[in-house]
Amino acid sequence: MKRRVLWIAAAAAASVALLSLLVVMALRTPARKAAETPTMTPVVPTPAPEQRVILLFAGVDDLLHPELRSVPYPAEVGERARIVVSELAAGPRGGLHPVFPYSVQVRGVFVDGRGQAFVDLDPPSEPLTGSSTELLMTYAVVNSILLNCPELDTVQLLFGGREVKTLAGHLDLSRPLSLNKGFIATS
Amino acid sequence: MLAGVGLEAQEPAAVQFQLDGSTALAPRIGERIELLPVLRLLGAEVAFSPAAGTYGVQLGEHAIQFSPDRQYLLVDGRLEDAGEKPIASPGGVAASLHFLERSLLAPLGFRLEPADAGFLVVTGARAVRIVDVRPVVADFATTTTLVLTLSEQVKVELVQGERKLTFRMTEAEPRLDTSLSLRSERVKDMASRGSELIITLSRGVGLLSWHQLDDPPRLTIELGKERAGPPPTRQEAVEQVAVAVVIDPGHGGSDQGAVASSGQLEKDLVLQIARRLAATLESRGYTVRLTRNGDEERALTDRTAVANRRNARAFISLHANSSKVAAVRGAETYYMSLDKSATDAAAAATARAENEPSGVPVASSPLNLILWDLAQAEVLNESARLALGIQNHLNNHLGLRDRGVKQAPFVVLTGATMPAALVEVGFVSNPDEEQLLRDASHQQLLAEAIALGVQEFLAGS
Repeated sequence: MKRRVLWIAAAAAASVALLSLLVVMALRTPARKAAETPTMTPVVPTPAPEQRVILLFAGVDDLLHPELRSVPYPAEVGERARIVVSELAAGPRGGLHPVFPYSVQVRGVFVDGRGQAFVDLDPPSEPLTGSSTELLMTYAVVNSILLNCPELDTVQLLFGGREVKTLAGHLDLSRPLSLNKGFIATS
Repeated sequence: MLAGVGLEAQEPAAVQFQLDGSTALAPRIGERIELLPVLRLLGAEVAFSPAAGTYGVQLGEHAIQFSPDRQYLLVDGRLEDAGEKPIASPGGVAASLHFLERSLLAPLGFRLEPADAGFLVVTGARAVRIVDVRPVVADFATTTTLVLTLSEQVKVELVQGERKLTFRMTEAEPRLDTSLSLRSERVKDMASRGSELIITLSRGVGLLSWHQLDDPPRLTIELGKERAGPPPTRQEAVEQVAVAVVIDPGHGGSDQGAVASSGQLEKDLVLQIARRLAATLESRGYTVRLTRNGDEERALTDRTAVANRRNARAFISLHANSSKVAAVRGAETYYMSLDKSATDAAAAATARAENEPSGVPVASSPLNLILWDLAQAEVLNESARLALGIQNHLNNHLGLRDRGVKQAPFVVLTGATMPAALVEVGFVSNPDEEQLLRDASHQQLLAEAIALGVQEFLAGS
């Protein structure tokens, strides 16, 4: 009997020791992993190669004219579309005229998996007037994106994160728009 | 009287047809049935030409030629597209019930009808034409316009019941295209049955007017709040509201449009030019209606609704332009664009709508607006001709370099069921042109140029 009790006591002591060891190891493992992290090679994004993009700005003939500009040209289509819109918003560098009639902020550009881009812009602080203003601004964005991102089919403009029916009372902006060459100068 | 009984076995092997006490069994071949037993039951002479691979069917004065694996057939000398191909079968040739009814029985003077027990019945009848009906609906603030485009022109009469419009075709049967989702807060349901097309209206909705038009053959139906008194007939409606041209002076009320540096407002300029254009056309015998004849506010969608309700033959929206580039000047004409994305989106949206619960708000449904483009799609070539005619005369009168006409999805042109164009008469942002636009003689010059374009269009349509 006494011998049996000793066996039980020894087995219990061994179990406690094993459990303690497991707990200590479990607690120490994350610390060891954390300590390993700084030794890993950091991932540095590969800079996008420079390439010339086509940006459309307004001419005195009330049509869109191309300006070629060397910019980082990411392979990812959403990022490329964002760069195109940002460059448009920054305005022309040559003799052409801006297409945005106000100082616009690009809130976001994203693409879905079905070839459609959404461009979210700050809304104008005052109502826009003239169909020309509305048409050139809209088709400068739509055409510039689609010319530089052949993976995409359509572009829809959003203002302040929302879909709008129209900005100046002419063009229907509540729909995705496709390339419209009618507003691009041919000469 | 010929009656056919579908054999209600686990897998019905044949469809039984009866004609005045005689019967024939047409074995089923998958989705199709053998055609020859039915044709022989009618008393038609059927002959197969092995050399040509064609079947010839003769009954009375009618003759039909058709072939297995070809969807075109000759009916009394006319080439017709059956839309499907019959196939060679153990019994000779087999096709769907639809092919049998539409392409064979109807030209021979028979048709199939569902019997009370749900069995097929063929009755002797005059030749019945099947007319495809493509519905498009648009809800506006206070009215709804329904356009039913027909595959061919037919004689139609309207029978009005309580919340029900029944359009009855003479010697023709409507076949409603149900592939397009039809959602309207004023139209509850639409169905075709025999020679009738039945439209069920929502509570409190009545018929305001309806018209039968050509090119393309179509019925336009205007619905709105139910009103007391006798319902409008087609003849009364046409007499009361027949209008050749609706002119839409852009903007109005609190919507001033573009503002010149002199303070001149676009909404006032275009109203002046619209009045001159109306007077010019009226002096030449045309009936004209303005969407506004004062400084009134008008919703964009209600402007085309005026033209739709008035059965106009052309819709012209007048605007003056503005640009940040002061040097820009000149007049331009636009018409609606319907690019591939819109039609693709419509197809995708239709598919999505099928899976959506009902009760989606109609006015805010992009599907509804995209489908509504189809109303303008029916007349897009005519809109192009109207816009080109106007621009040509503007170029000639104003000495402009021809820049052609452009297309874009303008809100105000969306939903016009007639040829429609938007004219930008010039730039108020250009000081020289703004001065010209205020000048009475220049305004008259613009009105003359646009009127000539409209006249040419109306004369040629």
